[in-house]
Amino acid sequence: MRNRDLAFWLFLTPVLAALIIVVIIPLLFGFYYSFTNWNGLGRLDFIGLENYVNLFNDNAFLSAFWFTVKFSIASIVLINIIGLGLALLVTSKLKSSNFLRTVFFMPNLIGGLILGFIWQFIFIKVFGSIGDLLGIESLNGWLSTTDTGFWGLVILTAWQMAGYIMIIYIAYLQAVPGDLLEAAEIDGANAFQRFRHITFPLVAPAFTVSLFLTLSHSFKIYDQNLSLTGGAPYNSTEMVAMNIIRSAFTDNEMAYAQSKAVIFFVIVAIISLLQVYFNKKREVEL
Amino acid sequence: MLKSKIVKGTLSGLLLSSLFLAGCSSSSGGDGGDKTTVEIFQFKVEFKQQFEAVAEQYEKENPDVDLKITTVGGGNDYKSAITSKFSSGEEPAIFNIGGPTDVKQFKDRLTDLSDTEAAKAAQEGTLDGVTVDGEVLGVPYNQEGYGFIYNKRILKEAGIDPMSLTTYDKLEEAVKKLDSQKDKLELDAVFAYPVKEKWVTGNHLSNVFLANEFDGDILKTSESKTVSFEEGDAFKQMIDLQNEYSVQPTTSLDYSQQVEELFSLEKVAFIQQGNWVYNTVYEMDPELAEKGIGIIPIPNGDEAKMPVGVPNYWSVNSKVDEEVQEEAKKFLDWLYTSDEGKTAVLEEFKFIPAYEGYDTEKISDPLSQEIYKYAEEGNTLGWVFMGYPVGWNEDLGASVQKYVSGDQTWDELVKETQKIWEDKADQ
Repeated sequence: MRNRDLAFWLFLTPVLAALIIVVIIPLLFGFYYSFTNWNGLGRLDFIGLENYVNLFNDNAFLSAFWFTVKFSIASIVLINIIGLGLALLVTSKLKSSNFLRTVFFMPNLIGGLILGFIWQFIFIKVFGSIGDLLGIESLNGWLSTTDTGFWGLVILTAWQMAGYIMIIYIAYLQAVPGDLLEAAEIDGANAFQRFRHITFPLVAPAFTVSLFLTLSHSFKIYDQNLSLTGGAPYNSTEMVAMNIIRSAFTDNEMAYAQSKAVIFFVIVAIISLLQVYFNKKREVEL
Repeated sequence: MLKSKIVKGTLSGLLLSSLFLAGCSSSSGGDGGDKTTVEIFQFKVEFKQQFEAVAEQYEKENPDVDLKITTVGGGNDYKSAITSKFSSGEEPAIFNIGGPTDVKQFKDRLTDLSDTEAAKAAQEGTLDGVTVDGEVLGVPYNQEGYGFIYNKRILKEAGIDPMSLTTYDKLEEAVKKLDSQKDKLELDAVFAYPVKEKWVTGNHLSNVFLANEFDGDILKTSESKTVSFEEGDAFKQMIDLQNEYSVQPTTSLDYSQQVEELFSLEKVAFIQQGNWVYNTVYEMDPELAEKGIGIIPIPNGDEAKMPVGVPNYWSVNSKVDEEVQEEAKKFLDWLYTSDEGKTAVLEEFKFIPAYEGYDTEKISDPLSQEIYKYAEEGNTLGWVFMGYPVGWNEDLGASVQKYVSGDQTWDELVKETQKIWEDKADQ
């Protein structure tokens, strides 16, 4: 019942005001713009649902969306498997575990654009050279086809984000009581059974958090996409964020881009909320 | 009771936060004492430092003028930046437009410059793209040209005279000859063709084969509701030739690999680029840049003309104060018609001037000199790609990527891009 205090509201208002000014109001404006034909400058006419109708017939947008969905599924699975794996590794009794934590977390500290260029070099030059040396044809020509572009993006994102997700898993893994595991060991459970029946259910809340984070992150990726493939070949590795930017700034269709952004926002919000809701239901209380 | 407390709290909180936010309000209005502030918002990163130095020189000569220069690089970035700048109400006095397409977009902000010295001195034809109903809405930066830039040493060793490559057949023959001697000449390939860069195919190469259809007239292009690809076969031939004899895979080859790496390290004989690559090549290998490269036009069948055009124009914003507009015009006049300005344009900016009355002996680099020669002889082709419907060049570039990946045929490319042109021209 703290919120009856005057002081409570006093402390809250600056933040609330800032939030309303820079998030809520622009969001509402965005909704409004998506029903017009605004081009970023000059006049604007109200055109109702026309943008939304066009959007569902826009093959470029739909394929970008489908690509984003596929990408998100692949990267969510990969990031969480790698993240959990790394977390198990650094919480086991290794001498270098503190050093390793730092190393695995490092990629997160590099900006997405730079990462994209670094990995572009790796995929094109390094893969190419290794392919030439070992005579593996499939390592040549990375990023020049849709498939290699797709997996390139997935690998980059996994490498960047796994360390961050690892930190979340570590926090939950360290909270698993040692006596439970010990008891199981005395009862004759092997390492896999201990993980499957004790660690895993207790770490479940971490899945809720990491799935939410990885999901919203993968859906909204833009800078890695821009610097790694730039949508090449023929915009087939273009994700939704990039498609929206292209509509807005290359084709000058601000309002149309805004309607795409609204649909995008609604879909990401629905998926995220559903995921959190279902995960919450399945968590176990200790 | 509770409600009123909340209201009171919120209000007093708002008061508090308004104190925090008060610091953020910007002081607009260009009155720094009795100085006139002229805001310049321009895109050309390559000459940012030189341009700022020249602006300082101008301020020394005109102490009552304060020039504020902001530079935002890259084609796309500039356009989005200027659009956001206008919609946020921060209006620069001088900004850049690219041609008819931008004229349409910014038309209610463009001042008529036809009575300025700069506009009068502009060379024949350079103002076509920004002239509407007799009003001149921009003055040119400079001229640029593009074609096949070649490596003199490599062609000499292969026994090919670049000046003889005036038709497609001769070019193809030379390419095959080079290809057969690849190992001896230590080449990775004959070309480096960056299909990844949509503008290389979508703007530049397409211009060579579409310009004739619109009589090389940029305005005719921007008014056309359709595109016929009359010379589409020659266009396809040229893409095929460059793609086949290029370093592979072309769909992930970009500008920096093409110019900085493959061409500057002499791993390829030809690249399809323009005189803007000179500085980059110079940084990598000064000797190669000064003595070892030349440029020839891209042959279209039996015709070989150098596409020369104005990449960008300076415009004055009609929404700023009259006084500021006048100062902006004065500065542009000084930049392109005064002796100090001319020297800077030639020697500091290293531009190919788009104006009369320059000592063209002083054009700095061999590529620009070569291009200027073609321009003097009138052996040029107009730049019509600035008149394509908004974003069509990108769509064409993407379609070419699809074609070279083998995911669509040439006929499909033509049909698809024609349809996009019609849709966009209708809007």
